[in-house]
Amino acid sequence: MKISFPHMGNLAIALSAAIRVLGGEVVVPPYTNMRTLSLGTKYSPESICLPYKLVLGNYIEAIEAGAEAILMIDSPGTCRLGQYSDIARTTLTDLGYKVEFVNFDLYKGKLFEIYSGFKYVTGNGNPIDLINAVRVGILKIKIMDKFENLLHYCRAREIEIGTTDKRYKKALVLLDNALTIKECNEALEFGVKCLSGVEVDTKKQVLNVNITGEIYVVLDQFSNMEIEKELGRLGVHVHRQINLSDWVNGSIIPSVLRFNETHDEKAHRYAKEFIKRDIGGDAVESIGDAAIAASSDTDGLIHLLPFTCMPEIISQNILPNVRNEKDIPILSLVMDEYTGRAGFVTRLEAFVDLINRRKKTKQLLVI
Amino acid sequence: MKIGIPRALGYYNYYPFWFGFFGSLGIEIVLSDKTTKKLVSEGSSLLVSETCLPVKIYMGHVLNLIDKKGVDVIYSPSIQSIAHKIYNCSKLRGLPDLVRNVVKRDFLLIEPTLDKSDKNQGLYEYLYESVAPLGITDKKAIKQASKVGWSYQNNFIGMAKDGMHPVEAMENAIKGKVVIKSQKNNYPISIAVLSHGYNLYDEHVSMQAIKKLEKLGVKAYVSENLSVGQMNQGLNVLNTNLYWANELEISGAAGSFLQNENIDGILTITAFGCGPDSLMIERITRYAKRLQKPLLNLTVDEHTGEAGFITRIEAFTDMLFRKKRANIIQNLNKQIQIDSNKQEVSKTRDSVTKSLIIGV
Repeated sequence: MKISFPHMGNLAIALSAAIRVLGGEVVVPPYTNMRTLSLGTKYSPESICLPYKLVLGNYIEAIEAGAEAILMIDSPGTCRLGQYSDIARTTLTDLGYKVEFVNFDLYKGKLFEIYSGFKYVTGNGNPIDLINAVRVGILKIKIMDKFENLLHYCRAREIEIGTTDKRYKKALVLLDNALTIKECNEALEFGVKCLSGVEVDTKKQVLNVNITGEIYVVLDQFSNMEIEKELGRLGVHVHRQINLSDWVNGSIIPSVLRFNETHDEKAHRYAKEFIKRDIGGDAVESIGDAAIAASSDTDGLIHLLPFTCMPEIISQNILPNVRNEKDIPILSLVMDEYTGRAGFVTRLEAFVDLINRRKKTKQLLVI
Repeated sequence: MKIGIPRALGYYNYYPFWFGFFGSLGIEIVLSDKTTKKLVSEGSSLLVSETCLPVKIYMGHVLNLIDKKGVDVIYSPSIQSIAHKIYNCSKLRGLPDLVRNVVKRDFLLIEPTLDKSDKNQGLYEYLYESVAPLGITDKKAIKQASKVGWSYQNNFIGMAKDGMHPVEAMENAIKGKVVIKSQKNNYPISIAVLSHGYNLYDEHVSMQAIKKLEKLGVKAYVSENLSVGQMNQGLNVLNTNLYWANELEISGAAGSFLQNENIDGILTITAFGCGPDSLMIERITRYAKRLQKPLLNLTVDEHTGEAGFITRIEAFTDMLFRKKRANIIQNLNKQIQIDSNKQEVSKTRDSVTKSLIIGV
């Protein structure tokens, strides 16, 4: 059975490796691009959020590439995410495509769902293989996050613009091909060496900006118009608050096996002051991240959300209050299929200018 | 003791219960004024523009209660989930948090949470949370008050199911009356109007859609006319499970009406930017196409003009009239053909018998 899955940032690298370790056949759809977006928009309800449109486009492109089954997480109680598969199935049937949906319901029992889902699509029920596959997948996610931390550090300080990105891409290709834990570690070593070799200006005064928001638009470079790259160009060291490894920690690994406070729990603790109950999605995390940013030495926070995202609209409404009470600059950016690049960059530049001036006046006041 | 209840969102579905419940505990309810344009713009000035219309209206009502009515206690419940893993929309779940962060006034916010998934709360715990901030902690009295509330609510549900307009039914229920009207009027066509109560019965939002339909000679059916059982069966028609807490009144009712042959068409009214509705309407549209039922979807927001709204409803009913007339004429033609065929058959039979008789 040829298996496929929608993109979310660099998730494909980890997920495809896990399936390949189990001996399954993977069809990775082309990375989300303009065609994906227009396909998805054409067949989606008008006012649904951007991630659904892109995911539907991924499905169609995966089926065109020969996929027979699609892996998707399915979790009620979050937001519209739990209905993605259901509504996509109806749409794809009406369009005449034949495909099977394999859903991981993360509320039913994490380990069992993952086991039975992978067993079904790959035909490999050997638990040792499965543990191996999950380990490789999770290791790759952690390595990618390490790479990205380095990438964000170097991008803001690099002397010749663009070198970091080139080296990062090279490192990712090597990581994509790795299939065992040993190979992954080799890729890590190579990548770290490669990225550390970038010529940087260590004394450069950079701004620190945290990025938070809805997980899909934060992670997906296409839907957020490569915001990290744009900020890096402006000399901003980006700290992404929502990472794949945090998400894996929180949603796949059972809570019994965790000992430290995850980023999620920390964000919930900080958000208590402003929002008392969980309202689904990443809303509470966004608010918590704003409070965390205010308590650290960060210069500003960028809050990304897709248009009509239900939980993030609530957090977008509450954030001005956090901004006033905690004194932290916050920029909310709504992403949809019509967001123009020029206007987007202008707003980023203005925001960076503002926080830069704010930082300088603060430093003067201290003196 | 006074408590302010905004005339928005949950008011249109549960007010008779609150009336009975708070009334029997000796708490006076103060309602906000009816929705006006000014109230909507005051509410939306507090929120970001992407927020959906019902929530903007809700904020307007909260402001109205505090500024105009002089109430300093606002009742704003958060209905998290109504059954295991059946959650509400995020905006309704975070409603009290939104009020607390956005409305910068001095007031006491009563924010009980009903959560049947994570905490598995019961109704009485929720009601206890509702009145404990006011100093009422007598659990027996709360239980008793809840029963009074249910008797009002059940009267309301009964009258609405009987076909009375829910706003009228609510007025009767609050007066403690049960009125059963005989329905003499004959309407040539019937349309099912699907929308959440807070959109359809707020005259400012729906622009009196039901009255307008009745003027055009259309009988409007709403989800309140159906029983929960019928709506649950309706979900099966659409091949789906209950996902949202307020999905029954749209998806369930749609499924039930799609199968009903007496319903000529379906009109759905949604607020712009409504998350759950965007999916429900998509599903209903696809199944309406499969089951060949005419459907018109109208999206309203704070800028919707009344003229365009009426024109589209009129065009839709015109189309339904024409379709029905064409159907009737076609059926008549068929009937005539069948009749003439029958006559021919009987004629031949007669001739056969005649010839037989002659033959004998």
